Amino acid sequence: MLQTSSAPIPFTLEARYKALRATKMAHTAEKWQIIGAMNHDDWGLILPPPEAREIVQALSGSGVLINDVRLKDIPIAVNHPSGGFFGPVAVGRTFRALLERHPVYIDPAASLAGATMVNFMSYRKPHWNPDMDFSHLHEAQHRYQIHSGIGATQHFCPDLAIGLELGWGGLLAKIGYYRELNAPEHDARTAGADFYDGLTDVVLGMQDWIGRHAVAAREMAAAEPRPEVRRNLAEIAEMNEWLISHPPRTFREACQWLLWYLVAARMYNGSGAIGRLDVLLLPYYERDRAAGTLTNDEAAFHIACLLLRDTGYIQLGGPDATGRDVTNPVSYLILEAAHRMKIPANIGVCVGDTTDPGLLTRGVEIMFQDRLGVPKFLGVDRTVEGFARNGYPPELSRQRVYSGCHWLALPGIEYTMNDLVKINLAAVFQTALAEMLEVSREPGTAELWSRFADHLRRAVAVTAEGLDFHLRHMGDVFPELVLDLLCHGTIERGLDAAAGGVDYYNLCVDAAGLATVADSFAACAHWIEREGRLTWTQLKHYLESDWAGEDGERARRLMKRGPRFGHGGTIADEYAMHIARLFTDLVKEKPTPAGYNMIPGLFSWASMIAMGKEIAATPNGRHAGDPISHGPNPDPGFRKDGAPTALAVAVAAVQPGYGNTAPLQLDLDPGLGRDDAGIAAVTALIRSHFALGGTQINLNVLDKAQILEAHRDPGKYPDLVVRVTGFSAYFASLSPEFRQLVVDRIVAET
Amino acid sequence: MTTGLIFDIQRFSVHDGPGIRTTVFLKGCSLRCFWCHNPEGLRMTPEVQFLPNRCIACGACVVACEHGGQHLDEHGRSFTRERCVACGKCVEACVAEALNLAGRHVTDTEVVAEVLRDRVFYEASDGGVTLSGGEPALQPDFARAILARCKAEGLHTAIETCGNVPWENLAMLLPFTDLVMMDLKQMDAEKHRAATGVGNERILANARRLAGMRVPLLLRTPVVPGVNDTPAEIAAIAAFIAELVSLRAGAGNGVGPTDISWELLPFHRLAADKYRSLGLEYRARDLNPPPRELLAVLSEVAHASGVPVRAH
Repeated sequence: MLQTSSAPIPFTLEARYKALRATKMAHTAEKWQIIGAMNHDDWGLILPPPEAREIVQALSGSGVLINDVRLKDIPIAVNHPSGGFFGPVAVGRTFRALLERHPVYIDPAASLAGATMVNFMSYRKPHWNPDMDFSHLHEAQHRYQIHSGIGATQHFCPDLAIGLELGWGGLLAKIGYYRELNAPEHDARTAGADFYDGLTDVVLGMQDWIGRHAVAAREMAAAEPRPEVRRNLAEIAEMNEWLISHPPRTFREACQWLLWYLVAARMYNGSGAIGRLDVLLLPYYERDRAAGTLTNDEAAFHIACLLLRDTGYIQLGGPDATGRDVTNPVSYLILEAAHRMKIPANIGVCVGDTTDPGLLTRGVEIMFQDRLGVPKFLGVDRTVEGFARNGYPPELSRQRVYSGCHWLALPGIEYTMNDLVKINLAAVFQTALAEMLEVSREPGTAELWSRFADHLRRAVAVTAEGLDFHLRHMGDVFPELVLDLLCHGTIERGLDAAAGGVDYYNLCVDAAGLATVADSFAACAHWIEREGRLTWTQLKHYLESDWAGEDGERARRLMKRGPRFGHGGTIADEYAMHIARLFTDLVKEKPTPAGYNMIPGLFSWASMIAMGKEIAATPNGRHAGDPISHGPNPDPGFRKDGAPTALAVAVAAVQPGYGNTAPLQLDLDPGLGRDDAGIAAVTALIRSHFALGGTQINLNVLDKAQILEAHRDPGKYPDLVVRVTGFSAYFASLSPEFRQLVVDRIVAET
Repeated sequence: MTTGLIFDIQRFSVHDGPGIRTTVFLKGCSLRCFWCHNPEGLRMTPEVQFLPNRCIACGACVVACEHGGQHLDEHGRSFTRERCVACGKCVEACVAEALNLAGRHVTDTEVVAEVLRDRVFYEASDGGVTLSGGEPALQPDFARAILARCKAEGLHTAIETCGNVPWENLAMLLPFTDLVMMDLKQMDAEKHRAATGVGNERILANARRLAGMRVPLLLRTPVVPGVNDTPAEIAAIAAFIAELVSLRAGAGNGVGPTDISWELLPFHRLAADKYRSLGLEYRARDLNPPPRELLAVLSEVAHASGVPVRAH
């Protein structure tokens, strides 16, 4: 039997928060035990009951094999000799089968029912239909370590308002209506019919899953002796009976409807895109408040129950299409809900010229009080301006909202592949350097730069080809059946979002490893060309031997000691800006061959470790196989005092500036929050980074001594949450090498 | 253009005056407070810091040193400070960063260029630049040049002074200073001498003169066990500060209720490694930071004086 909270006595909101948090910790402890290290977002996932589960190896989000847990005995609609199931019919049928067998989860302490226990993706083997061959791209993709995005899913934002308006019954009717229009019965073999079949299966599976919860809640209520708990369970039953087919009427029902959709999207393919939760919930909040049926504490609790079950990405405040700030009482309640529940969460607070400054202040206060890396901060004016630079009107740009690790999307109308496509700049540099040292008689940084630029151009071109390939085939391999339900145009046109179902295609291309490459260029320029302390031949030898021997170690330390990106005013800072500009120009030079717009960003997600594994030693003193640098951030130790202002200036100076982000990762000492002056200084720091051009800030408040101790003995701080990068996670859930990355950041900067 | 000796420039200082600041640490001090947390700021000359735990015993410093100050033999690595002329050659040779030169000669132009990097943060936070040390007023021409240039750039300027300098030195800085932060450690002259190496007469006289002027004044008292951590000692300082407040009022220079304020800062023991690296004895090594309860009592005593006071 699953461990859920027993309904606390007394059944107060405070006691219920506590009970839910304790249950969450028990679930997390079980995940550590069964799955092991989890170098990703917490997701809010709960393990299935032991008798119903099996442990499998699956591909993680960062492309490495991980242990995952699945439900046993799910019938898979295999339709390919490879053993895979591809296309909307097979995928829809299999997902429906999973939903129909997914266990019921009702915690009597919570106000909402449901939870997800599996990743549907872990049933997909192989992930890609091998008939669709892209081996012609493999060599270059491997050489530049391109995360091509081919076959990757979600990472765009649905418009949840569609679901709140229609409910599952309305969605089913909409599918039926357009099916009749686009793929009538007499022509049932068209591709359109297949797509509608897949969508229909998803909705029917959802209705079954929700319906089983309604029945279970009724049974639990009947067996419950305590009236207040019985009432809660009866309300859950009634609410879910209604929501099987109808759209939500109340604030609580809206939270419950969103929970169902979000856990389904999470289960289907890991989507956590929410967007403007404050705007979505406002009408329900206002109606219930006016009717006197909802208190602010109850509203915060319902939101907290939603946050508990999914760690989706939420934007608070910011301009609407006309530029008017949307901050409202629900924005603050969402912050309070996270504050009271104290679990990993991904809430972004907008910071902009017209955005309510109170949100920023409250966000920073909570950041210092809770020290959980919540919330994060969004430079909304910069991303709006940047997106418009792609040729879009500001009215449209303002509607692009924060809905993923480092990214934004237009809800329901844009397909983005955000955070899925990355070029490892260190691999490009490595190729250029090896080539120069091999063939050039008079090597030098000027030649190295020119070769680097040539290879980067090639890497961008190969990436663009891969994007076109993906878009051509993805709808036939693994359509976005859950996100498609809440897009404008997919059902109407009978097309998956990847296949032309939405209006806008702005494809993300991120670069990773900026500081590694900038510092490497600078180390060569400084120590080889300016100071003459090393020759190119010696460098070649040291890199090939991974700085072996005493001489090698001395040379490594020398190269590490040179000018570093982030210090300010050094040659490394100049290189970083040149590289960022070159990358931006190359991505923006032209669209993909098929004509899709690409948008550059700088982000490595949590792939610094994996991306570094195959990179040989680099001239910045980095050992072979060590992690590459983090997103657009300077490498730790770039200055003795690691001044946050220096970091903020450095990262602001390398922004690509087309609406996708290059987030600043900032780890601050808790001592800063000891008085109002410190809080004010941090808010000024955040504002100034955005004024300088920054787009997003991932902030942690971490105590150096505590983090070192938690690294040595993770079990001692099971509830310590850190914002690893765009996402937040339990520190103890991370693998040792991942924890080390966080530790290195703190130790070098304080 | 003037040249001066500094040992650090720290960006994002948030406890050395209002807002986000850059603090420039000038080297050399006229006090020898035994608990000083910036021991590298005491002497008026550059000096080599040696951090043995970083040393990889490569011997590069031995080769680089022309004065026989660095040794590497079967007994390990050692450093004879008496032979050191602080030329910095060993530091340059040390790739392990086990050697550091505390103190470098820089021009006011170089300092101001570094300070201006964070202008946007000062503007957003009502911050600015702070000259600290060491004792900034011991290099009055250099300090004045930095402050004047920063004022001309529109920055808020502050100095942190121990007060034990000729009045003329301070007076040179005041036209370009928006805030003076000054330590008051002990009202009893003998106890002051025992703790800091000098009596407090000149400090108190300077404080009185400052009180007669318009410049906002933040008095700071490091609460150090055995030096000033009794209610009576804090009360004595409070009485003196109350006198300063009436002096200012009498001079008709009061510009607001907080233009003279007071801060109590608990002693901490974070400087031990720095003393070791400089070959200095850390005489405060056995002191414990004052307990929270005691600080609360002292803070109450301070509040009773009626002076605006902030305790950490």
